[in-house]
Amino acid sequence: MTADSLDPVIHAPARLRIIATLAALPAGASLSFTRLQDMLELTPGNLITHLRKLEDAGYLNSETTGNGRASRTSIALTRSGRTALDTYTAALRDLITGL
Amino acid sequence: MNGEGDATEDVSTTDDGDGLDPRGAAQLLAQTEREARRQFNLSPLWVTAVTGVVVPVAYGALWFSTRLQHPYSGPSLGVVALVYAAVAVSFAVSVKVYRRATAGVSGPPTKQQQVEGIAILVSFVLGSPVLQGAMKHYHASHAIVYGVIPAAAPLIIVGTTVLGIAASKADWRQFGAALAVVITGVVAAFVGPSGAWLAAGIGLSIALVGYIAADALRHRRGLLRA
Repeated sequence: MTADSLDPVIHAPARLRIIATLAALPAGASLSFTRLQDMLELTPGNLITHLRKLEDAGYLNSETTGNGRASRTSIALTRSGRTALDTYTAALRDLITGL
Repeated sequence: MNGEGDATEDVSTTDDGDGLDPRGAAQLLAQTEREARRQFNLSPLWVTAVTGVVVPVAYGALWFSTRLQHPYSGPSLGVVALVYAAVAVSFAVSVKVYRRATAGVSGPPTKQQQVEGIAILVSFVLGSPVLQGAMKHYHASHAIVYGVIPAAAPLIIVGTTVLGIAASKADWRQFGAALAVVITGVVAAFVGPSGAWLAAGIGLSIALVGYIAADALRHRRGLLRA
């Protein structure tokens, strides 16, 4: 097994931190964009780009309520996102054990 | 996807996995999980540790102020005021920690936590005072109204409430701590009015130490897995 076998959607520092942070929440809970940004210290644009990639892969769900400056975006890990992180973690462990 | 307000895209800082070796990824994953768990934690270790100091001091003071009373008349007003102040401060700290941990967090689990919190608060606020009031109404002795009931009843009532919540979530660490609290309450109910405060203080301290040890063990296991 090589590093290429790791899920490329997750295997990027920012996306790995996003998905690991959301996985620390109880299943079914979502986190506001603002809190996630504060925790990860990413710029809004950078965070949006990574969230899109994860959402396109089906690993995240996002929901926006309200309009304009009062809008609020909540992000939650999907079931397949949690499974993907578990698979990624197992693959990572195998790789490290084999090194 | 939009963030709050106006968020401009800045794709220049977008990164990918090039240069991220498996060991670096594992370290980053473990570090992020640890930090996220710390920030979302509703009962941080420092709060439990401070409670572990406040509880024996408060119950010790209640026992100390009543230990030589014959007949039993109840704790002195100064000690009662001190205990109420400790409870008020603990409540304020718990609310602050809860708000900080759940800021920006929403969804069914958060609502469930709020309902659980209300259930515990109601059982704490109503349980013992209602029993004390009823006992006083039926002319029970001071030993019962101001000794056995206030020392043992909150532990049995709140402990049983938490026991049910922990069982419904299969949280066996919380279940064990709640069971220890209920057993403490049962023991306290049969060791006399002054002894009840001492038994409650010792039992609660043991339950707290056990909870802290189980928490530390869980963290250690998590670190070893990482």
